[in-house]
Amino acid sequence: MTLMILGIIAVALGLTLLLPPRGSFAQFLGAGFLIVGVFILAGFGANFVGLSLTNDQALFWSLAIVTIASAVCTVTSQNPVFSALWFGLSLLGTSGLFMFLGAQFLAVATVVVYAGAILVTFLFVLMLATPSGQAGYDRISWERLLSATTAAVLVGVLTSMLGRVQVESDRLDTAALEPVATARATEIDAPAHVAHLGRELFTTQLLTVQAAGVLLFVGLVGAAVIVAHGRQRDHRERRLAQAAARG
Amino acid sequence: MTDPQLLQNYLFVASLLFGIGMLGFLSRRNMIVMFLSVEMMLQGVSVALAAFGWFHNNWQGQSLVIFIISVAACEAAISLALVMTLYHRSGSLDIAFWQSSREPGTQAYVDQALPPAEVHQREFPHLTPAGVEPRPSEQQTEYDSTHA
Repeated sequence: MTLMILGIIAVALGLTLLLPPRGSFAQFLGAGFLIVGVFILAGFGANFVGLSLTNDQALFWSLAIVTIASAVCTVTSQNPVFSALWFGLSLLGTSGLFMFLGAQFLAVATVVVYAGAILVTFLFVLMLATPSGQAGYDRISWERLLSATTAAVLVGVLTSMLGRVQVESDRLDTAALEPVATARATEIDAPAHVAHLGRELFTTQLLTVQAAGVLLFVGLVGAAVIVAHGRQRDHRERRLAQAAARG
Repeated sequence: MTDPQLLQNYLFVASLLFGIGMLGFLSRRNMIVMFLSVEMMLQGVSVALAAFGWFHNNWQGQSLVIFIISVAACEAAISLALVMTLYHRSGSLDIAFWQSSREPGTQAYVDQALPPAEVHQREFPHLTPAGVEPRPSEQQTEYDSTHA
């Protein structure tokens, strides 16, 4: 219990030191605290078998480390363009995690839609709206210690619940999971994975697909209306200001 | 690694992603970085859903992740339209500009001292000009006075 609390404190301190404003020495200290804290939490909540890893475990943990490290760099970077690029790397890590599960369509959709469309749109907005030089609001953050403690406590609580799952999984009826593992070979791990996903989406999950379509349409119209309405208001205000200046 | 152990590892990674996203949303002041943190929270949830779907040999997890991806695309479109509108009205991407919409009774946040900006002395390479500049066309000379 005290070790868990120490892990939470280490994660909170590490994230506090990494958030802007960050000194050039404090960031290494913060990274060290964060790594130690995540190791402690992983000892509670994850199955980290030490250094004797099989090939698939090593692959999983490399993908996980890439994802988490680039997520931390996204949130703590002092340049918003660097944040976007680190987020792109985190998306690639997530895509690798999806592929590890055999979710081929999800892996490709993450890269194409998230990294290829959403991230590019963010970069467009950054291109249009970034000040010259480094902005002051990028070098400072709200309530560093408090928000880092909140995030660390949340991760600690979730990890301790996962740890309890670990304890109870020793009593798990692993024989009951055998049919799932073999049935997975015909459903998710089958070569016709995307065909099965399509069958599922358009038969059982048809309402989900239709709702997503309606949502996309409404979002498109809403985004256009927001920009048009804002521009209309700007025109009106400019005309009023010109009339006031004249009369 | 047995199935429950791999599921547990995936849930650990997903909870870390969600926590880091929440940290970014609570603490950063740049609107773009706040929205990137929201997308990261959605990624954490997607990883957890995909892991559960794989564990139970179920397509429901992956279907909900596809729904989440389309929701994230909509949310990105609308949030970026909002950010552009706010930028036009305020001139910066700082969310502290709009802090008059905070709860009544809470204190305003005033910047006391900003840490100094990192000044990068960038040395751009000097390339020798190669070749002859092409003669401008007639249409170009109409609007381009530097080459005429």
